[in-house]
Amino acid sequence: MNNSRIKQVMSAVFEVPLDSINENSSTDNLENWDSLRHLNLILALEEEFGVSIPDEEVGNLVNFKLIELTINELVK
Amino acid sequence: MENLKYTEILQLNKQLSGTISSAPYQIGILSNVTVNAGKEILEYVCRKNQIEPTIEIGNFDNIVQDAALFRDKNLVMVFWDTLNLMDQVSEFFEDLEEDTMASFKQKIYSELSMVFNNLSSTPSVIFNCFSSAYYPINVISESKTHRFVSELNRYVKENAPSNFVLMDIDAIFQQHGLSQCYDQRFYLSSKAPYTVNFLKHYMVSIEPLLLRNNGKLKKALILDCDNTLWQGIIGEDGLEGIDMASSSKKGVFFHKIQQMAVFLSKRGIIIGLCSKNNEADVLEALRTHKDAVLKEENIVIHKINWNDKAANLKAIAQELNIGTDSLVFIDDSDFEINLIREKLPEVHCIHVPALISDYPQQLLKNIYKLFNLNPNKDDLKKTEMYKQQFQRESAKDQFGSIDDYLASLGIELTVLVDDAAYIPRISQLTQKTNQFNLTTLRYTENQIEQFMEHPKSFTASMFVKDKFGDSGLTGVCILKEDEGDPRVIHIDSLLMSCRILGRNIEYVFLDHVIELAEKKGYSTIRAQFITTKKNAQVKDYYEKIGFELLRESEGTKSYSLNISTFKPRNIQYIKINTTLNV
Repeated sequence: MNNSRIKQVMSAVFEVPLDSINENSSTDNLENWDSLRHLNLILALEEEFGVSIPDEEVGNLVNFKLIELTINELVK
Repeated sequence: MENLKYTEILQLNKQLSGTISSAPYQIGILSNVTVNAGKEILEYVCRKNQIEPTIEIGNFDNIVQDAALFRDKNLVMVFWDTLNLMDQVSEFFEDLEEDTMASFKQKIYSELSMVFNNLSSTPSVIFNCFSSAYYPINVISESKTHRFVSELNRYVKENAPSNFVLMDIDAIFQQHGLSQCYDQRFYLSSKAPYTVNFLKHYMVSIEPLLLRNNGKLKKALILDCDNTLWQGIIGEDGLEGIDMASSSKKGVFFHKIQQMAVFLSKRGIIIGLCSKNNEADVLEALRTHKDAVLKEENIVIHKINWNDKAANLKAIAQELNIGTDSLVFIDDSDFEINLIREKLPEVHCIHVPALISDYPQQLLKNIYKLFNLNPNKDDLKKTEMYKQQFQRESAKDQFGSIDDYLASLGIELTVLVDDAAYIPRISQLTQKTNQFNLTTLRYTENQIEQFMEHPKSFTASMFVKDKFGDSGLTGVCILKEDEGDPRVIHIDSLLMSCRILGRNIEYVFLDHVIELAEKKGYSTIRAQFITTKKNAQVKDYYEKIGFELLRESEGTKSYSLNISTFKPRNIQYIKINTTLNV
C-alpha cells in the first residue's frame, strides 16, 4: 500500500512515468532527482502520509528502499 | 484547489501542460528564500484558468541584480523574506546599536529602491510585504525586530511604484496559522521556509490578479431565484411563503446574497436572473416583497421561463453582446448546475452549498476572485447603459431603414489624443475587450502612459453618446511610427467595446484616425489582424475599410493603406467632436 503511494509521489515529483519507478530507483539512476526536487519530494511525502520526517533522515533518503523503510516506520 | 495534495497538483499540472494554445504568460520569480516547490503550483493555477505560463525563477538571494533581467516579464513576483534578510545581521538584533540598525535599514532601502526602479515599467509586480510573524512578540515594549519590519513595510508602501501589488502574507499566516505555513526545519536545512500549504494558499490568493492581467475577469452574475435568491419556492409557497428577511434564521443568508448582488450592480457588474418560474410571480416578488433588497432596477436582464437554462444563458450572453465565458451562474439545483457544466463548460458555476450558512462566504470569495471591484466611472454607469441598449434595440423596429434609425439616434463621437486623464480606462479596455479587438494586445496603465509620453506614438480614445445616453470611452486606437521609415505609421491596437457596435461608429472612428495620421504627416498606414478565439467578427474589417492585404500567415493578416488614395465613408449622421492638437 505505502509502496505504491510512494511510487505515485516520486513519479509526480520527478516527472517520470509511474512504471519507471521501482525498488532500485535512487539518486544515481533518476536524472531529475536533484537537491531542489529532493526537497519537493520530502514535502510531498510528508503531506501524502501526514508525517514529519526527522531532519537527520532527510538527507539520507536517497533511494526508494530507504524512503519506504522510513515511511513505514513513521506511519506505524 | 486547496483541497488537492501537492502530488495531485503535480499530476494535474502535467496533464494540462501543452493543452493551452495561447501565447505564454511570462512570469519571473525573485526570491531570497527557496520557493521552487511553488513553481508547479503556480503553473497549475494558471493552466486551470486557460493561461499558459512560462515561469523563470531568479538566482537564489539575487533579487536586486535579477530585477533588471526580469523587467520585461509580464509578471514579476518578489519573495523577499524577512528571515533571510535578518540573517545578514550577525549580532543579536535586539542588542543592535541604533546607528548600526539605521545603516542596515538604509542599505535595504537602497536595495528596495533599485528593485522598484528596475521593475517600474513591468506590467505587473506582486511584492510580498515583510513579515514579523516569525519572531516572538514583546507585549510590554515593541521589539527592535518588529519595529524594524514595520519601518521596512512603511517604506515599501510609500515608495513602491503603482504597478506593484503589495501582498500581505501576514494575512495568509493569520488565516491558516503560522505553523501550517512556515517550517523552520526546511528553512534551516534548505532556506525553504514555506510549507506546501502556504504556497497553495498564496497562489490561490493571487489568482484574481492572474485573471485580471489576462483579461479573464467575468462581466455578469446570473442568479436562479427559488432557494438561490430567497428561501422557498414562489410558485408553491407564494409571496408570503418565501423568506429573505434579515431578521429570520435562514432568510438572513439570502438577505446577504441580495446585498452582494446590489453591491456588484453598483460596481458595473451586470446582474441577471435565470429561473424556471412564471415571470409575473418573480417580478412581483422583486417589486413588492417587503424584504427584497435586490430590486428590479438592479437587474439588467432576466429570462424567467420554462426553457432549458443553457439556452437561456446563451440568449443572455447574446443579448448583452458578451461571451458566455464572461458569465457566472448560481443555482441551488444539481440538475441545472450539471447541465450548464456539461453544455457550457466556460460558464463559471456556483452551486448553492447544502449548508446554507456557508453560502454568503462562498459567494463573496468568488466575487473577490472573479469580478473587477475597482471600477472606473464608465463601469458604474454600465447597468444604465445596458438598459439603454435595450431601448435602442426596441426603437429599431419603428424605422423603415437602418440608416433612418441610426440618423435618429443623434450619435456624437468625441476623439481625444494622448489624454492622460483616461489612462486607467484605456488600459482596462485593452485588458477586457475580446471581440472587436484587431490585435488583442493587453496593456497596463504604465504601458499606456509610455505610449502617450513617447513623441512617436499616439493613443486616440473615442467617446460615444446618443440621445439615449452616454456610453463613455468605448474605443481605443494606438499608433506607432515605423522604426525605419518616418512616413509610415502602424496601428498597434484597435479596439471597441461591443455595446457601441452596429451603428457604423467602427468605420467613422477609423476614418478619423486615418485623418489624424495624415495631419501628423504620415503617408502610409500599416495594420494587422491577429486571430484569437473571439475576434472572428473583425477578420475582414480592414478589407472593408479599403486596406490592401499584404500577406496572411498563421492567423495573422498584414495590411497597408496609402492615405492619399483613401476615400472616407463620410457618414453624415454621426457627428465628430475633436481636439486634433497636431
